[in-house]
Amino acid sequence: MQARDFDDSPLPGAPSYPGAVEPLRHRWVRSGDLRVHVAEWGRESDPPLVLCHGFWDHARGFATLAPLLADAGYRVCAVDVRGHGDSDWAHTYFWWGWVGDVVRVIESLDREVAVIGHSFGGGVAVDTAVVLPQRVRKVVNIDGFGPPPDDATVAPVPERLENFLDLRRKLTMRPDWKPYPSLADLIARRGAQNPRLSPQWLQYFVFHAARQTEAGWIWKADLQMTGGAGPWKPDFVALSYAALEVPLLAIEGTEDDTWGPMDDAIVAPRLARAPDVTRCRVAGAGHFVHMEKPRETAAAILDFIG
Amino acid sequence: MIRLRHGHLDLALHELRDGVGLPLLLLHELGARSDAWRVAEVCWSGPVLGLDFSGHGQSDWPRGGCYQPEYWAGDADAVLAHVGPAALLGAGVGAYVGLLLAGARPQHIAVVGMLPGAGLHGGGPVPQFGRSAYATFVAPVLPRWTSGADPQVAMTEAMIRPPDYVGTFARKAPAIVLVEEASSCPPWWEDVAGGANVIKVGGGIGVVSAAMARIARV
Repeated sequence: MQARDFDDSPLPGAPSYPGAVEPLRHRWVRSGDLRVHVAEWGRESDPPLVLCHGFWDHARGFATLAPLLADAGYRVCAVDVRGHGDSDWAHTYFWWGWVGDVVRVIESLDREVAVIGHSFGGGVAVDTAVVLPQRVRKVVNIDGFGPPPDDATVAPVPERLENFLDLRRKLTMRPDWKPYPSLADLIARRGAQNPRLSPQWLQYFVFHAARQTEAGWIWKADLQMTGGAGPWKPDFVALSYAALEVPLLAIEGTEDDTWGPMDDAIVAPRLARAPDVTRCRVAGAGHFVHMEKPRETAAAILDFIG
Repeated sequence: MIRLRHGHLDLALHELRDGVGLPLLLLHELGARSDAWRVAEVCWSGPVLGLDFSGHGQSDWPRGGCYQPEYWAGDADAVLAHVGPAALLGAGVGAYVGLLLAGARPQHIAVVGMLPGAGLHGGGPVPQFGRSAYATFVAPVLPRWTSGADPQVAMTEAMIRPPDYVGTFARKAPAIVLVEEASSCPPWWEDVAGGANVIKVGGGIGVVSAAMARIARV
């Protein structure tokens, strides 16, 4: 699917949310033969921050954090990486393609940046800083220290590839999401996955994660991104931190949640490989730290990058 | 030519030679295409098929330019879904992909033949993080081939192939025929060659396919 062109006027039926501010600008950056969408808040002349969302999420998930950073004097550029939000879908996906999208956005800015990412986007942010230290002065990772060494990643490799191949066959037979009759159905599904996110926030967040087709409501994200295979091991995460040349702020919540926070016995040795790391816990937040506690998250980020 | 679907992509499967019995699927080396095979030298009485991997020949070149040997195993698996059980004969990265598929679906692959060729080595046993990853994976890749392949496929040469990873597939594969040619082969090739399910031969596609035919009783 190709990226959607739209003007800056609000979409019909777009919900509001306390503290969520519409992006001031939308622009598209070329990443190879794809167009990557960037939602921006703040003055173009201010020092830039580049934000990367979690897997299956999108740039509008930063709609409550971004205005706080913009008000503090930053140009906030939230990227939809390929396959997500309003960016193009790729035909195939792998890790460095997503890193490449964030790199292309940084290169489009022609200035030093700080990179901030959540969950999967936190890992992308770290590897962006690893490959582009001359352009990234600091990096913030919000609860993206995984994946843990769980069953999926430590299963014997031929069985893992067989599962991947079975999944590829299934996705070939059914290449897109099943449409749902209403947006409320998608909100209910996301709410069941992430019970800490409030119904009112989910109205906002899921509206921008979905689109209406003639058959019903479907997710914008590309279902074909599902699954993975290859010789990658959880042990390799630490190698990425060891290659960092810039300061890292590691933000976590304190509350148990779907997908986090991870056991510190796994996180601490990974972070210990980074040459300059500051750790911060936001009290009362789960995995979606910046959505649950945007003010506290913004304060921690501003204190670190200032 | 048969068009097959894999995910978002259309693939080209070439019927290179007719025959009766178990099909032999040829998997080309990096940057090549199915019409480069010397089919006349292949000793096989069943049908001989050639797949163009995505990014090569008459198969789609994926938008976004991301390639992985495991995706190419998915391309070859789309052929298995179409023709049923088969034997695989690969060169270079095609040999590596054939080995992965034979280890993952041993019940559907009678034997895999492995020839040296482009894209065999990969990027060593451990990932190299740091600034060098920019040049490998993130910077636009310069054109290298004029044979009708997407230059981006070169990124797979930098992807790791740890010997223990390759070894688990080699041990699960039902039977392997491998060209013993240490000078142009990576260290993991020798590890594979040491397995009890491996027949080592000297020579090219004719010798390998003849040994495969004896194993598969074609």
